[in-house]
Parts: sequence; structure tokens; C-alpha cells
Amino acid sequence: MEIMTRDFGKIEIDKEDIIKFPQAVPGFPEDKEFVIFPLGEDSPFIVLQSVNNEKLAFITIEPGNYLKDYEFEISDELAKKLKIKKNEDLLILSIATIKGDIQNMTINLAAPVIINLKEKLGKQVILDEDHYPVKYRLFAEQEKELIE
Amino acid sequence: MLVLSRKEGEKIIIDDNIEVTVLESENGQVQLGIDAPQSIEIHREEVYRKIEKENREAAEGIDIGKLSNFGYEKQ
Repeated sequence: MEIMTRDFGKIEIDKEDIIKFPQAVPGFPEDKEFVIFPLGEDSPFIVLQSVNNEKLAFITIEPGNYLKDYEFEISDELAKKLKIKKNEDLLILSIATIKGDIQNMTINLAAPVIINLKEKLGKQVILDEDHYPVKYRLFAEQEKELIE
Repeated sequence: MLVLSRKEGEKIIIDDNIEVTVLESENGQVQLGIDAPQSIEIHREEVYRKIEKENREAAEGIDIGKLSNFGYEKQ
């Protein structure tokens, strides 16, 4: 089937690629179906595009590729909701907020998007407060590490 | 909005299986105890709103061209 995307015009997707978000994501209660695709070849960014609303798309990255210590627990309840059998089936994404310069990009570590690729089920999970920031400056951290 | 008055130690029951108890009330601060099934998600409002706001900000259109040229080395 064909869907319209915010940034890439019409794209062809397989119905089986649709990831269901039964609880939607905070702020967008209407959008319960998304597809993911890489922003470009070799790009670290993954686009999370609403299937039914072309205007809604998020730019995301896999936080685990950059932050080795980023971790949280998958509760039994979440495992049940997303039918998680093993962690290898999971894709963890952080939604990026980009205002102006890319260097100012922040990623939301407080509410990762967890997708069970096997079951095609996803949910944005709000982690316990005060642990990880909603706005984490990814590049500031990277630059610091490079200097060190 | 339904408005109920409760004293310390009193409860309200929502939908058969959610119990909210007023544990303590002092100087405008109320401590609530909530008993609910695991499947019910409970958040402080401001935390939830913060995530909503961040999602809305993140969903504002961006210049995708800038991003697609952006190679970034993985560690």
C-alpha cells in the first residue's frame, strides 16, 4: 500500500510493516499506526511516520548506539502489553527534537519508544521521573568526549 | 468535574478496581495512595505533560535536507 509521508512524499509500504501503538503517544492520541524507515543510507536517524496522518513524523535515533549506560527495566506489564518474549526483538528509539542548528538537537531519554519488531507493537514509555532528561543534548556530550 | 470531599484515611473507588486513599493532608500538600491493577498507568500530571509537550515540539517540521547529509559516526 502507499502512504503519504511528511518529508518523503509517497512511499510504498507493506501492510505487515505497520507498527501498532495501541496507546498512541502522548500528545497525539489519534495516531496508533506508524512505520519506521531509515532517514537515508548510513544515516543514524530513523523516521517514525504516522500511517494515517502524513503530517505526523518523528525523527529518532537508537540511544544505545551513543550512550552505553542508558538502561531501564522492562516491567512485566510492559512485556505483556508489547508481547515481549526476548529483548533481541526490541528496537529502542529516542525521539529527537531539532530546533535550528542540528548541534542543538536534543533527544528524549525520559520517554523512549519501545518497539517489538516481531509483534509489530510499540509504545512510548515514560520512565520514572528524574532519572533521565527529556532534553538530552547528544552532541554536546559527544564533543566533550572527543575533547577528553 | 466531579468534586468529592474526603478526610485523611478515606478513599474513593474508581471503576471497581482503583482505590485512591487520602493518606495525609498538610499545608496544602496532599499525599495520595493509589491501589490499581498493574495495567493502569499512573503519572504525575506535570511529567506526562512534559512528554506531551516534547513530542509536539519534536513533531514540528524540520529541514530534513540538513539531516540527511548528516553522517554521524557511531561509537
